[in-house]
Amino acid sequence: MATPINPAAPSTAKAPQRAWRVVDIVVASVIAVVSGVIFWAWNMSYAGLDFLWVAFPPSSGLVMGMWLFPGVLGALIIRKPGAALYCELLAAIVSAFMGSQWGLTVLMSGLVQGLGAEVVFASLRYRRWGLPAAMVAGGGMALFGTFNELFIVNWFPMYTLPMKFAYMGFAIVSGVVIAGLVSWVATRAIARTGALSSLASRRAAQEPVAG
Amino acid sequence: MSAEVTGPETRTAGARHGDPAGGTAPRPAGSTAEATTAGAEVVASGWGWRHAGREKPALAGVDFRIAPGERVLLVGPSGAGKSTLLHALAGVLPADDDEAESTGSLLVGAGAERVTTGLMQQDPETQVVQSKVGDDVAFGAENLAVPREEIWPRVRQALDAVGLGGLPLDHPTSSLSGGQKQRLALAGILAMRPSLLLLDEPTANLDPDGVEEVRDAVVRVLERTGATAFIVEHRLAAWAPHVDRVLVLEPSGGVIASGTPEQLFAPGETRERLIAAGVWVPGFVPEVSVDAVAAARGTAGGPAGGEADRTASPAPAPCVAMARGLAVGRGSAKRGDAPTLAGVDLDLTAGRALCVTGPNGAGKSTLALTLGGLLPEFGGEYAYTTASGRLPRRPYRWRAADLVSRIGSVFQEPEHQFVTATVREELEYGQRHARDDGGEPLFSEEEIADRTDRLLERLRLAELADANPFTLSGGEKRRLSVAAVLATRPRVLVLDEPTFGQDANTWRELAELMLAERRAGTVIVAVTHDEHFAAAIGAEQVDVRDLAEHPGTAAPAGNRGPGRLSLEPSARASTSYLGRANPLAKLVALACVTIPLVVSMDFVSAGIVVAATLAMLPLSGVRIVDFLRRTWPLMIAAVFAAWGTALVGEKTGEILFEAGWYSISTGSVTGGLATGLRIFAVALPAVLIVASTDPTDLATGLAQKARLPHRFVLGALAAMRLVGLLAEEWQVLGMARRARGVGSNGSPWQRMKANGGQAFGLIVQAIRRASRLAVSMEAKGFGGPERTWAHDSVFTGRDAVVVLGGLLLGVVAVSAAMALGAWNVVWAS
Repeated sequence: MATPINPAAPSTAKAPQRAWRVVDIVVASVIAVVSGVIFWAWNMSYAGLDFLWVAFPPSSGLVMGMWLFPGVLGALIIRKPGAALYCELLAAIVSAFMGSQWGLTVLMSGLVQGLGAEVVFASLRYRRWGLPAAMVAGGGMALFGTFNELFIVNWFPMYTLPMKFAYMGFAIVSGVVIAGLVSWVATRAIARTGALSSLASRRAAQEPVAG
Repeated sequence: MSAEVTGPETRTAGARHGDPAGGTAPRPAGSTAEATTAGAEVVASGWGWRHAGREKPALAGVDFRIAPGERVLLVGPSGAGKSTLLHALAGVLPADDDEAESTGSLLVGAGAERVTTGLMQQDPETQVVQSKVGDDVAFGAENLAVPREEIWPRVRQALDAVGLGGLPLDHPTSSLSGGQKQRLALAGILAMRPSLLLLDEPTANLDPDGVEEVRDAVVRVLERTGATAFIVEHRLAAWAPHVDRVLVLEPSGGVIASGTPEQLFAPGETRERLIAAGVWVPGFVPEVSVDAVAAARGTAGGPAGGEADRTASPAPAPCVAMARGLAVGRGSAKRGDAPTLAGVDLDLTAGRALCVTGPNGAGKSTLALTLGGLLPEFGGEYAYTTASGRLPRRPYRWRAADLVSRIGSVFQEPEHQFVTATVREELEYGQRHARDDGGEPLFSEEEIADRTDRLLERLRLAELADANPFTLSGGEKRRLSVAAVLATRPRVLVLDEPTFGQDANTWRELAELMLAERRAGTVIVAVTHDEHFAAAIGAEQVDVRDLAEHPGTAAPAGNRGPGRLSLEPSARASTSYLGRANPLAKLVALACVTIPLVVSMDFVSAGIVVAATLAMLPLSGVRIVDFLRRTWPLMIAAVFAAWGTALVGEKTGEILFEAGWYSISTGSVTGGLATGLRIFAVALPAVLIVASTDPTDLATGLAQKARLPHRFVLGALAAMRLVGLLAEEWQVLGMARRARGVGSNGSPWQRMKANGGQAFGLIVQAIRRASRLAVSMEAKGFGGPERTWAHDSVFTGRDAVVVLGGLLLGVVAVSAAMALGAWNVVWAS
């Protein structure tokens, strides 16, 4: 095993550490898995949530954010390139193992949704983890995700175009609020418990809102 | 040469020290049949460490020299940096963290030999990395790049050495008891052939039998290998006879005393000092002071001090709650499950104290949850009589707000019951939510403020009133979780292992609190192995098996039953034709089947795929019942997708129904049916493949054949192993929070809030677990660029058949749809 033992490289650069450590990998993985468990628990307590959308089916986009939070939450906590993508993709794989509606295409969904958040954080050069970044990332996931659902995999080819855009709009609102805002609030609350002490986000609770 | 563990300048990769050149696979001395490795020398000179984000160092100015093969017991009050020292020796402190600071030097191993270390931690769940016993033991050796042919002999040897040789290598790790999991962790370390063993409270989470079982295994291993050992443990009596030296550490300081156990634990200054710091020195049991009890009476909920002790008073005490022929268990009689315990008769009379003992899995905790009104009775009767009779007699039927002022439950893990963000709110929460028989608030704001202040004072938490409960020390968390339950003055108090892992000072305080409660007439039922605690509060001790008229078929220790959420395939599915195929081949086949369905929406291709999947069911070994259990949500999803398209899809053909701006046409109904069938057809084959695929095989294939980075693949795999545990924790959290007055039977908004809070609690627990799991994995050498694999991912003729089968099905589906003119590309519409 050729682990680099780095005898004299006191890191002088103040740039964020980009490389993933073992703890980053394991915590990111567990966030994805626990998201899978939360989906599972929610499915149990909200079985038949589908009935809410009977009157206007595109409004089901309003809960899409519930399936997007792992990407934003993972990125806000881990703060490494690829964290959003990895967490969302792994959460999709876990939900596939737990029995998902969407078969193999769930991997495609996870990949595309994760990319939606990853693109946002990358464009901020992985330096900004505040509320605006979180909300834009949540919206980005919904945008990418619905684009995939409506135009690539095209789950509802018979929907009229206005209905497709209505669905997309509902989903983006949901992504901004549930995946963005809620993940940001949750990250700060988790940081306050001290559970993030070995991660880059350990001071998340003291950072400015727009940080 | 030796490597220094000195922080930013030297990166010590997990579990390995020495030979900074690295590069080659380690070959410990004597890597032949017998696992003999010489012990390593350990020298600290003025060593210290400050964690990132902390002001004070965890340790400073530590000096010692430990000879090869010496066994050292590290003792000191909580916060003395014992775990930090072990982590440093294991090479898992984040040396590359700019915010952490290290001073002095810590040398592991002298001379040219390579030093491998093994670290064992407290929480058995995070010591296990893999889902099968053999794989888990092999994990560390794989990370050290031990050649495959050498790994399996090491694994068997290590399992024999810790007394687990009788288990098959593919035995699931999730069905082991806590003590067995710890021994398994020890075997994994042993397979790495370490010359330094680091044990961080290896028995703190175990019952007395488990403690001996693990201690004996450790002692046996040390005798066989001659490895040097550092042991941190709360209760010293079990270890003192087996160690050569004791080092006493001081918070933020260094070694303040060093000597043999006989010297340091003999009556004298050091012993007194340790006792004052709450250390469980051998032969010491804290005295519960009667004065403290008297002082507590005024504040801890009871009547004024002068009243006669009810337990001693001749008048019969009133019965608060009673059980008649009570059966407890997790399942339900309707589904044919057996109760864990049956025929329990109990009179919970005011002031009665009962300590329930018994082996793991005998139903102690299940009984406690049932008495706490958190689990439904499996059978028989459990009734609590209220003065007004307005509440149902069964506590399980009550709302959480009714429960808190009547029956209080204290869970083993304090964090499960924290529901607010500050210590003060934590104490106020239950009081504010408590309701009297008429449904009115039980306490006024003044009463709440007054009682909260007194509890803060009494439990020495006043200075921490604004702190986040999760940031407290272990002892403070325990005191807070008990106080938060006592704050609402329940008449029955149910506690699950309240003294587990507590230092002697917290232990004494708990005993005094309980004694005061008892004298005030509260019923106390405690599940505990702690005989001293039972004696201190004057409780009757009952073995749970004697409580039951006829003990049920208790599940063996550690077996969580068939209901546990798991990502593993059933034994039948994993040995089926598809189960033995390479997961990558299955994925390719699945892609061949899925792509046509993604491209086209038509009844023909979708129908063929559904029919073919059903026909292949026998190949996957998945039972029809399981298959239906996994697929019914898909059917519902398909039906709703069909409905959605029928309602808002494009209108063509004849209009069937019109109301306002809703309309359904023949065209939209056909479109809806096609949409639904397509969704169903996409999902169905995936269910078949997933149900017969072992995540471990998938990970092995992805890392070896698909060349995905192994750190991520194995990290994901280790996390996936926690899924069952986390699902169980979700349920425990639900009950623990109900006992605090949260949730159940509120408005949809309250329910959502309660569910959100529960999800938050789960995430916090999961991240903590993940951090500990990361330490375990890193300590086992995980994270390096190269490793060997105990299993080889291979492609066989079977895999060619699987891929060809998938390809054939895809081609048939497409050609049939085209031939019949049904082919309908979704992007074209």
